[in-house]
Amino acid sequence: MHIAEGFLPAGHALGWTIAAAPFVAHGARAVVKEVRENPESTLLLGAAGAFTFVLSAIKLPSVTGSSSHPTGTGPGAILFRPPVMALLGTVVLLFQALLLAHGGLTTLGANAFAFAVVGPWAGYGAYRLTRAAGAGLLPAVFAGVALADLATYVTTSLQLALAFPDPAGGLAGALAKFLGVFAVTQIPLAIGEGLLGVLLFRVLTVNARPELERLGVLRPAPVAATPGGVA
Amino acid sequence: MRSLAVDEAAWGSAWRGRSPGDKLLLCAGLVGCALVLPAWPGSVLVGMAAVGLALGPARVPARTFGRAIRWPMAFIAIGALTAVVSVGDGGLGWAPDAAQRAGSLVGHALAGSAAVLLLATTTPMSDLLPALRRLRVPEAVVEVAGVTYRLLFVLLDSLHTIREAQTARMGWSSPRRSYHSAGLLAAGVLTRSWDRARRLQEGLAGRGMETGLRVLPEVLPSSRAFLATAVTGLAGIVAVSVVVA
Repeated sequence: MHIAEGFLPAGHALGWTIAAAPFVAHGARAVVKEVRENPESTLLLGAAGAFTFVLSAIKLPSVTGSSSHPTGTGPGAILFRPPVMALLGTVVLLFQALLLAHGGLTTLGANAFAFAVVGPWAGYGAYRLTRAAGAGLLPAVFAGVALADLATYVTTSLQLALAFPDPAGGLAGALAKFLGVFAVTQIPLAIGEGLLGVLLFRVLTVNARPELERLGVLRPAPVAATPGGVA
Repeated sequence: MRSLAVDEAAWGSAWRGRSPGDKLLLCAGLVGCALVLPAWPGSVLVGMAAVGLALGPARVPARTFGRAIRWPMAFIAIGALTAVVSVGDGGLGWAPDAAQRAGSLVGHALAGSAAVLLLATTTPMSDLLPALRRLRVPEAVVEVAGVTYRLLFVLLDSLHTIREAQTARMGWSSPRRSYHSAGLLAAGVLTRSWDRARRLQEGLAGRGMETGLRVLPEVLPSSRAFLATAVTGLAGIVAVSVVVA
């Protein structure tokens, strides 16, 4: 759910761009530092961006009978951390605007704030809190991915409510309207993407454990002492 | 979705050989006009100009343009309808100036979307990324964006191939199986993307990659006639809008 080009008034589009800018700049600085220290990271980060874009092309069956597309920022935030996702998410939004006509250029700042800043931070926060509470990886992944989706949807609804307050109900009335209308697709999508995240990480823990350990998602498995081995 | 129709249209457009800067100026001007000019007649003129230029001189297939604009249209229709419904004590009703507000919202958004789509269907992303360097975006960020663009098509191809194989094995025949297949599909694409990146890195390291991934940009000279026509057309849209509104 991206806000289309020209949908927000100029002042709101500018305001959200200014709000998103520090987070995206922080992400850019993190990427520049990473690439300077490890030049090979360019390719891995590019692959992460491409994966986030491609994840949005996977169709999930929806409870409403139709199909919906994941946002992809939840798994990205858990794997690559929110600062990096602020930049990668913005790059993905730019590509979605220019390759799929989803979103827009003047609304890039507003969409980036919801999709690349609030979503990843909320999702990563939920993931870390769930892990800290003693839950396993998969429940934490479900919480993180689903909340990243929900936070994106709530933020976009808030942005629309601020731009178009209800003549009678004001901001609260408008927020209730936008939350209600988009809940039909976004709440099932959040649950669906949470389940997809669980299935994704379940496969990754088996097939790509070294990568998850390198990214800090899993702790390295203790090496079993072998008889006669060097201590 | 093995390829991206908008990207294919951009590579095949009659404006492919035009300077990206020229097209960027025209489309940014149209987007700006769509945003700030009154919906009547500003948005109508911008929309007509964007669609006319895309289907006319730029020779973008009408089917591609029409299919691409469907996505923003769905959001615009739902969003505009929601914005003009009022929630009062008596329940739901129309806002006092509902028709005018909805028309204005739809006009601004459709015209802006058409202007962005004109840029998207005439200018491949690889022509636009060098413009980010001129906007002082750090080199590392432009390179990551460039790798993302190039890997997109490799991963979309992987996605399509895996999905085809899953479908042939009845992997998408029920919601439960579909979720299981979607999880395997996402994991398969992610591990392939890591593998591709690692192999690319090893190949480039073997060739002594020390100065990043810069390639020689294609030189597409700016056209004074195109720029003059674009500026005149934009000035005309502004003038007509100010006079009529």
